[in-house]
Amino acid sequence: MLVENISRRDFIKTSGLAAGGLVIGVSTPMGAMAFERENDAEFNPNAFIHLQDNGDLILYCGRCEMGQGISTALPSAVADEMEADWSRVTVKQGDADAKYGPQATGGSASIVRMFQPMREAGAAAKIMLVAAAAKAWKVPAEQCVAKKHFVYHNDSGKKLSYGQLASLAALQAVPEKPPLKEKSEYNYIGKALPRHDQGQVVVGERIYGVDTKLPGLKYAAITHCPVLGGKLKSVDKTGALAVKGVLDVVEIPRFEVPYGSIGGVAVVADNNWTAQQALKKLNIEWDLGENANYDTVKYKQQLVKNVENPAQLATERGDLAKAFANAEKVFKATYTGGHLSHSPMEPNASVVFVEKDKCEVWAATQAPVAIQEVLGQYLSRDPKDIIVHVTMAGGAFGRKFKCDYVQEAAAISQKLGVPIQLTWSREEDMRTGFYHSINAQHIEASLDAEGNVTGWLHRVAFPPIASLFDPSVVKPRKGDLQAVDDYPFGLPNFRSEIGDAKAHTRIGWYRAVYAIFYGFSFSTFADELAHQAGKDPFTFLTQLYDANTIKEQQEQAARSKHALKVAAEQSGWFERDNLPKGQGIGLAVHYSFRSYVAMAVRVESDGDNIKVLQVDAVIDCGQVLNRDGATAQMEGAVVMGMSLALSTEITFRDGAVVNGNFHNYPVMRISDMPQVNVHIIESEHSPTGLGEPGVAPFAPALSNAVFAASGKRYRDLPFKPMSV
Amino acid sequence: MDKSITINGKKYAIDVDKDMPLLWFLRDRLEKTGTKFGCGAGLCGACTVHVDGVATRSCVTPVGVLAGKSITTIEGLSEDGSHPLQKAWLENNVPQCGYCQAGQIMNAAGFLAQNPTPSADEIDNAMQGNICRCGTYQRIKKAIAQAADELAREVS
Repeated sequence: MLVENISRRDFIKTSGLAAGGLVIGVSTPMGAMAFERENDAEFNPNAFIHLQDNGDLILYCGRCEMGQGISTALPSAVADEMEADWSRVTVKQGDADAKYGPQATGGSASIVRMFQPMREAGAAAKIMLVAAAAKAWKVPAEQCVAKKHFVYHNDSGKKLSYGQLASLAALQAVPEKPPLKEKSEYNYIGKALPRHDQGQVVVGERIYGVDTKLPGLKYAAITHCPVLGGKLKSVDKTGALAVKGVLDVVEIPRFEVPYGSIGGVAVVADNNWTAQQALKKLNIEWDLGENANYDTVKYKQQLVKNVENPAQLATERGDLAKAFANAEKVFKATYTGGHLSHSPMEPNASVVFVEKDKCEVWAATQAPVAIQEVLGQYLSRDPKDIIVHVTMAGGAFGRKFKCDYVQEAAAISQKLGVPIQLTWSREEDMRTGFYHSINAQHIEASLDAEGNVTGWLHRVAFPPIASLFDPSVVKPRKGDLQAVDDYPFGLPNFRSEIGDAKAHTRIGWYRAVYAIFYGFSFSTFADELAHQAGKDPFTFLTQLYDANTIKEQQEQAARSKHALKVAAEQSGWFERDNLPKGQGIGLAVHYSFRSYVAMAVRVESDGDNIKVLQVDAVIDCGQVLNRDGATAQMEGAVVMGMSLALSTEITFRDGAVVNGNFHNYPVMRISDMPQVNVHIIESEHSPTGLGEPGVAPFAPALSNAVFAASGKRYRDLPFKPMSV
Repeated sequence: MDKSITINGKKYAIDVDKDMPLLWFLRDRLEKTGTKFGCGAGLCGACTVHVDGVATRSCVTPVGVLAGKSITTIEGLSEDGSHPLQKAWLENNVPQCGYCQAGQIMNAAGFLAQNPTPSADEIDNAMQGNICRCGTYQRIKKAIAQAADELAREVS
């Protein structure tokens, strides 16, 4: 890490910070994260501390906030090491800027990569404040100690506030390797600090992507070709242009970039409502293109065929054929899942103002730097001249990583020369998505006479995300099966295979991504296999982890097993014989995004009706930064897990999405909410993310619970699809 | 005929197309953005405001039919964020992304005004039309029950 004192450098002027005080810039070495860009420089400043002369402390968060709590968690780590008083802290969201380092926020990666650098930034600031006080008192720094926004002199009892010391601290040398606090010394890390912004939320003052207002702002509504790959044939604008208050109808080009807009037609008006009404008066003919026959019911059947027949080899260990030939029993099952729409409560929206010498963007986004790059290219300007203000995102779940809605607003603003707010309707949001992948998996496993697993064949087929960037990718690549190949069960004779799965729509990251279906297949099949072996599922799973002899997987196996054990204990699994008739508990554990989450789900079910009563969620994510935030992520993961397990599915017919709004994309509502108890395993491991890992274990635990309660087995997500 | 509407105690002329939903009158004409757009069809509750004290979906309520009525939005629920629901929301750390929460709070406030001593089932039924995609339902339930207790104490 490189920490530098930039208090008096130019950025203060350019970033609009009040001059004076202590400003610390931080650099982190580039890691190999999923969303890394190769052209990132070796050292990028990625966050800033600004301590003002009056003692107010502004902490900048460069990672994007979408409700996961990162803009509280990371600054609290800075404040902790800095010995700052949290009540003096204001958190600000950083604009898109290389000084913050990689800002693309996804893969549950913010804490993994930023925890240590943020602590070091705070620790360095503290040392400089202490040095400043020592200088003022003409005493050795060793005699001084920082505590809650003051520095004290041990012997004399003198004290100076951080505000008083700010300017003097800015003149001190920056320590190269500031020592960090011991766990026992933490004030904020690992506690349950409330979110810094909830006060604004409850009075309606938090500003989201849809909320930016500018003088002269005009409003746009948009429609896209309903089929991916189709294009505009003709548009009759007459009816729309005749509507009072309509300024123009703009044809949006296709953006030939990753996550590019597929193009569309927008109506611009004085307000959103007029634009939406006029949009209905457009007479548009689309050329639907090659995906016009996409039908997800038929496609899923084809995927099932592709995994129930021999497919392309991915990975092989041991001798599977021999294991199967010598087996007491070979059991097989097939699992499927449908497309999902992220459907955050805030639909895609942004404000863009393209001027002759300036382009400014206000957007809820997970990828602000990508906006700079794409708009820079589109407008033939230097990316750094595209100013991107990152607003709070009203939910994102992966959708707002792909900022087609910003490109479209820019295209309109460029044409009309006025600031444009583009807000997608809920229907456009649901029908022009980057969908979680439709999928099928087939597993066959052999058992010996003692009920031990001797062989495991795992076939998968789903259109992968890579198909977005490369149309020649018509099936998962080997790397897409890594979580299958490295699953920490002890499976000496193992084979994974890849079935064909050409994409007919845009596939994108959805909270938890492939872990959704991998978690479902592994933990459901293992439960089924336990029953085949005549063993109770907990014992059976424990034996599967114990059977793992691969050295690199021992930690994974041990932590998975432990999380599962805690879930079993906390949920009353071992006393489940005492449950009322019609109730059952199901277990599942899944490792994803470097964290472990186990769930025990208790249901009441006759097989058809399913009432989820209680969920015990167990987290092992190493050192927890914020217990309340971690708990909230688990509660949310249960809700999202329940939606996708029971009811949500995007259906394509004749190439287009049939669902349109929440009446036929039935996300979970409040009356379905079970009691969720979250149990955090105390851990000395370094901290890992929690935005996604909680989603995967819910659906399999539910399938296992319904089976325990009723004997009915669900193998297809969602269990209760709505016919649309 | 009165062509004005009272919003958070202040009178405004209805100077837009009478068919424009209240949501867009609030957001685009008056630039009061606390009330959120979620679905445009009365399906998610993000746009909930009070019309003469009754929780109402502003995205499907034409502003023209509201002449002479009194509207309360999240910005006007209390002067300083001190409504028992707002306080309970903070005490329970309810919001994640927070986008739906204005609608949740306004819906709950309208409900508690009518039923100050709700059972857990009654809370569920009243809040069934408000979607939270982040999944804050458990805390919403708790916060409403807590606010109801406080309201009951204030009344007694």
